[in-house]
Amino acid sequence: MNDVFVLDHVSVSYGATTALRDVSMAIPRGGITSLIGPSGCGKSTLLRTLNRLNDLIAGARLEGSVRFDGADIHAPDTDLVDLRRRVGMVFQKPNPFPKSVFDNVAYGPRLHGSTAMLDELVERSLVRAGLWEEVRDDLTKPATTLSGGQQQRLVIARCLAVEPEVILMDEPTASLDPVATATIEELTRDLSADYTIVLVTHDLRQAARISDRTAFFAAHAHDDDSRHGELVEYGPTEELFNEPSDERTRQYVMGDRG
Amino acid sequence: MCLAAASIPARHNAHVDVHPLRTGIALALLLSAAFAVMTVGGLSYRREMLIAAARAFVQLIVVALVIAWIFTHPQGAFLYLGLMLIVAAYTSNRRIGGDNRDRIGVLLAIFLGAAATTTIVAVTGALEFSAQTLLPFAAQMIGGAMTTASLAGVRLRDDVHDQLTTFEGYVALGATYQQAGREFAKRASEKSLFPTLDQTKSAGLVTLPGAFVGMLLGGASPLAAAQVQLLVLIGLVLVQAITALVTTRLISPLPPDLGHSIAVTEAVA
Repeated sequence: MNDVFVLDHVSVSYGATTALRDVSMAIPRGGITSLIGPSGCGKSTLLRTLNRLNDLIAGARLEGSVRFDGADIHAPDTDLVDLRRRVGMVFQKPNPFPKSVFDNVAYGPRLHGSTAMLDELVERSLVRAGLWEEVRDDLTKPATTLSGGQQQRLVIARCLAVEPEVILMDEPTASLDPVATATIEELTRDLSADYTIVLVTHDLRQAARISDRTAFFAAHAHDDDSRHGELVEYGPTEELFNEPSDERTRQYVMGDRG
Repeated sequence: MCLAAASIPARHNAHVDVHPLRTGIALALLLSAAFAVMTVGGLSYRREMLIAAARAFVQLIVVALVIAWIFTHPQGAFLYLGLMLIVAAYTSNRRIGGDNRDRIGVLLAIFLGAAATTTIVAVTGALEFSAQTLLPFAAQMIGGAMTTASLAGVRLRDDVHDQLTTFEGYVALGATYQQAGREFAKRASEKSLFPTLDQTKSAGLVTLPGAFVGMLLGGASPLAAAQVQLLVLIGLVLVQAITALVTTRLISPLPPDLGHSIAVTEAVA
């Protein structure tokens, strides 16, 4: 199957607030798919439905269907632990656990009971995330003492250690300086050879630089001041930025360049 | 457990004389003085103070009558403690904001803490095996456990709320809410123990704890009072360690208002 995720008429609401309305799209395997759009357009909500992290929220409701590898992830027999192992997530703010560097990376494998060759797995994950050289001398160091950019790479290593197929990234460079941002972008590009990456970003240039496909979301305002997010346009990144077919997309991507 | 009422020995050689009339006069004066001080000082809550006093009056009289009855019918102690346990679990769970399932966890946590402690004290014979001694002791343990369950539970949910991205980090790796909550349980349990540890450290220095004062007023020797107070204080440490650990592992770590804050963030961000 070529599509990792297939969304069919997906709407998400929190209580009485509709965050996202009627989104249908397919995310193919491999490469980077970016979700862009202004604040409140529901792109983070969409990302959080892909590993069902919105389940945490009392009152969050989803209509339509989300298929992962052909299987409806909201089916009653869905194994959430397995879904989240296969679909990893990196957050906007680096969220290292209050543990050592080693224990951060080892948390997932230990959780899933795969502790054979744990040292090698931790090293391999740190190498892949480009952090090994900086931490190899002291893996017992508290993760919270790392710099922001290092913490974000640690979180990526932690995610890689459970050997996922997909990595969801929710504005992973929003809190980083330009140098750390460049490092993460390069790493993300590099990882996209082996993993399917879905990237939410505020940064249009970032989407244009590194993603293969881009989906543009907009917030649709209602008369009563409420609004919901909707998918406006989705296609190859170059096409979306250079020849957008929707006027709203054109204004959004041109506005950034002007 | 089959102590006949008649075989219960008098525990104290000395006993304290209470005169209902004089007690009444003293209470009226205390209450009026409190009311006057609050009025002069412009403090609110005078009405609440009076209601609290009236409640305490009624509750203590009723409890005195009930306990007097239990002293002659020791089997009644189980009923009394059982009821207390249920009220404690209900109160604590409401404070935490838990649902029906959480309440069962809280009940179990309070029960395990109080039962373990009371059993040790009873089996060693440190306190005489009778309703007169074990009922108040167990009741005090249940009370302490209730406070701890509330503190630990509220703390756990506050911590998860404040460090939600960390909590989500665990969940995103495949941890269940319970497994992710366990990562926060230790810290929340530790924090809930601070008040008791402080109270234990400062016993006799900063305050004279309740059991000690009560026994002195009741005519017991200061050394006997100290021994009972020690059983209570150290007992509370055990109760609270057990109750805090069990509470933070059995209740759901998710604050009930979580949805609201995220939905608002997403809608406004």
